[in-house]
Amino acid sequence: MFELRGWLLDLYPDPQGGVILWFLNQDESGEFRRLRLHQAFPITFYVAGSDQRLRELWHFLRTQPIPVKLARCQRRDLFQPEPITVLSVEVVQPAAQPTLFRQVYQAYPDLTYYDADLPLSLRHAAVYGTFPLARCCLSIDESQEIQELEVLDSPWELDAEIPPLQILSLEPNVDPFHASPTHLYIRSGRYSYCLDLEPRRALLVNLRTILERHDPDLLLTVWGDTWLLPRLLALSRRWRIPLPLNRDTNQEVMYRPERSYFTYGQIIYRGRQVHLFGRWHVDARNAMLFHDYGVEGILELARVTALPVQTVARVSPGSGISAMQMQTALRQGVLVPWHKQQAERPKSALEMFQSDQGGLVYQPLVGLHSDVAEIDFISMYPSIMARFNVSPETVGVERATAEIVPELGVIVDRRRPGLVPQTLRPLLEKRLEIKSRLVDLPPWNPRRKSYKARASAHKWLLVTCFGYLGYKNARFGRIEAHEAVTAYGREALLRAKEAAEELGFTVLHMYVDGLWVQKEGADSVADFQPLLEIIAERTSLPIALEGIYRWVAFLPSRQDERFPVANRYFGVFQDNSLKVRGIETRRRDTPLFIAEMQEEMLELLCKYPHASLLPQALPRLLSLLRRWLSKLNKGQIPLEKVLVSQKLSRSLQEYRRPSPVALAVAQLEAVGKEVKPGQCVRFVYTRGEPGVHAWDLPTQPNPATLDTQRYARLMLRAASTILQPLGIDETTLQDWLFSNAGYCVTPGSPSGVNIPRLPLLDERRQSKLQSGFISSPATQRYSFLTTPDAR
Amino acid sequence: MGRTLPSITQVFLQEQEAFSRFRRALRRSDQLVLDDLFATARQHLAAAAYAGHALPFETFLLAMLLEEHKQVMRLRQRLEELLLTQDV
Repeated sequence: MFELRGWLLDLYPDPQGGVILWFLNQDESGEFRRLRLHQAFPITFYVAGSDQRLRELWHFLRTQPIPVKLARCQRRDLFQPEPITVLSVEVVQPAAQPTLFRQVYQAYPDLTYYDADLPLSLRHAAVYGTFPLARCCLSIDESQEIQELEVLDSPWELDAEIPPLQILSLEPNVDPFHASPTHLYIRSGRYSYCLDLEPRRALLVNLRTILERHDPDLLLTVWGDTWLLPRLLALSRRWRIPLPLNRDTNQEVMYRPERSYFTYGQIIYRGRQVHLFGRWHVDARNAMLFHDYGVEGILELARVTALPVQTVARVSPGSGISAMQMQTALRQGVLVPWHKQQAERPKSALEMFQSDQGGLVYQPLVGLHSDVAEIDFISMYPSIMARFNVSPETVGVERATAEIVPELGVIVDRRRPGLVPQTLRPLLEKRLEIKSRLVDLPPWNPRRKSYKARASAHKWLLVTCFGYLGYKNARFGRIEAHEAVTAYGREALLRAKEAAEELGFTVLHMYVDGLWVQKEGADSVADFQPLLEIIAERTSLPIALEGIYRWVAFLPSRQDERFPVANRYFGVFQDNSLKVRGIETRRRDTPLFIAEMQEEMLELLCKYPHASLLPQALPRLLSLLRRWLSKLNKGQIPLEKVLVSQKLSRSLQEYRRPSPVALAVAQLEAVGKEVKPGQCVRFVYTRGEPGVHAWDLPTQPNPATLDTQRYARLMLRAASTILQPLGIDETTLQDWLFSNAGYCVTPGSPSGVNIPRLPLLDERRQSKLQSGFISSPATQRYSFLTTPDAR
Repeated sequence: MGRTLPSITQVFLQEQEAFSRFRRALRRSDQLVLDDLFATARQHLAAAAYAGHALPFETFLLAMLLEEHKQVMRLRQRLEELLLTQDV
């Protein structure tokens, strides 16, 4: 028997019984080595039902070849007031449990099952407190069997020691769905290689050598799930050259099929997945939110959720939060239902009107405003759950300790800590701590990047947590709890509004968890501090000043200028950073060059400290637009930048009228490339029929056939989004750019909406006149836009 | 995520739709004014949603009235200011 310390890398069931654990361990000489160890780990599931049926099940299980230990015991069902009697089925071989459970369920579908399909890593976490990259102290006997396991750190530590992981990245030289790759770029630390994909034998031999030499812990690929690894494995089989992608050579690589599904009003496509054993594989293109938080964020998610790294990289954050809830339940001996049985309580129609509401979404006062503070509740919904003990088992229950919250009409049991609040609290605390550290860290500090990635990973977990309360398939979901959270949220926002108005602020806009306020003469942090304090006191929720805008423009609807819309605005904070929502540059389907143009326009506007000065930027904005237009007309914009990327929202047969996306997909299918709903399709607009050219066709589109007029229209639209708050509509802009009209404003013109257009001036004269052209009358115009009550 | 109740914007559009025959029979100039009236109500959708009234059109009517009255007060103030300057 000897003892060693190491970081947990991987954990999975051993087909021969027990579980296999991989540890990263540093030996006496300081060398790092990877150990494959074994541990006995029986797992249990529970069954509830009538005594008669449970007795029958008992006999059934006795006759099965898979060995089990059976017992009758009392356990807590979250939604029952008293513990219930259940049959516990302990399976000695974890690998056999799914098969056994399937057989049991097929024979006894009428019984209620608990803890039946939990990920193995969660069960292990509940017993030993393990999580990926946990630092552990082990006692091991001679046969590499773990006898004792103790975890030395916790997932909630802020600066946990991260072991030196070996990362090997693999990337084909070109998108395999666009063209056939010819090379494979490989990088690991200081080493980099470039392998030819042909001849195949050489490729396999070289790749095998590289894998053996570097023995990576993490295989970071691009298109690895959907193209590279399946292809390499197929080659390896054909040429009979084994490729050690798995570190554990006793295991086969595991595939998970591709799928399309519909969620939150949009269709999502997930590609095929390739999971390895003893080593992680993450495909940057198939990982969730990889662009947002990277490897660092994935490792953080794995630590806090205790899900395997390869799983957590590919599942939605919702699965992460539900894993955390299951772990809390397992630790407290609460049964995790296999299928949810909680039905919604019947409501009267009026109750329905009152309770079936989301967050408060206001219509902003459209226009340009100066010195506006944005105040946000920090992680509002999770904070509400934690602060007011909102959990599926505490809301809407008739219990002695439950009390009614009068202004909401919600019954909440505040005494007994709920499952969801208990799960969330450490996560919220960690996030707040990271955020407060970020404020103090200077910009050059290398820790910033890591903190930011982790904060972003936490954010996604917290955001989805609320959705899971109301999701009908969530195991710990319950619609009443979901409604209670939004009710608390609306109340908090209205209290904040009332507080702001009492202190003399104008509330320009409110959006679920944030409000935009303005007051004559208030433009520094200290001016808004009293308001923050009052709101925090009245709502007892954490609140922070997101920033003070030098100016911010709330935009009206695209369809009709008279309608304000909630989430379309742009503005500049006092630290010169931009905040932009809902306009073209943020949209994925905008061609890159249009996004770049819009960003350039915003950068230009950024330099002006006050809304009243913005008109001075007009001449420069127009020349910027002219420059982009002439680039477009001269064909100087690279094809990659005019690509339009749109999601296929349904299968091709379901399109009644062929949209550009559908036409592009039809072109792809004609050459045998299949596109699934939820996948993005890239194409360029071309002149004539059919009007599009799919980017992933074998032939490149001819730059001369680009539909420049269509692109110019798109450009103009994006430009007018930015110019609209300056009182310039699309038609005016069009006249300026194409009909060569001047942009004089007659001094003293009463309103800026109809700018008199003088058809005149050739370019030369115009540029001479540009300086000081529009200053005073324009400033006058803007005054009407900044005072909200004059609208 | 299914919705049991239509969103307030959907309700609003349904209510507006319910008057499409009325609108059709109006003169073109009146049609535009009617559209304007509906547009003003749209500014208070959030409040209408929060109210959770069983007859949402009442709330929309009140929102139109509110915007109309704001306009009246604004004009009254303008008029008084103008009269004052004339007196001087």
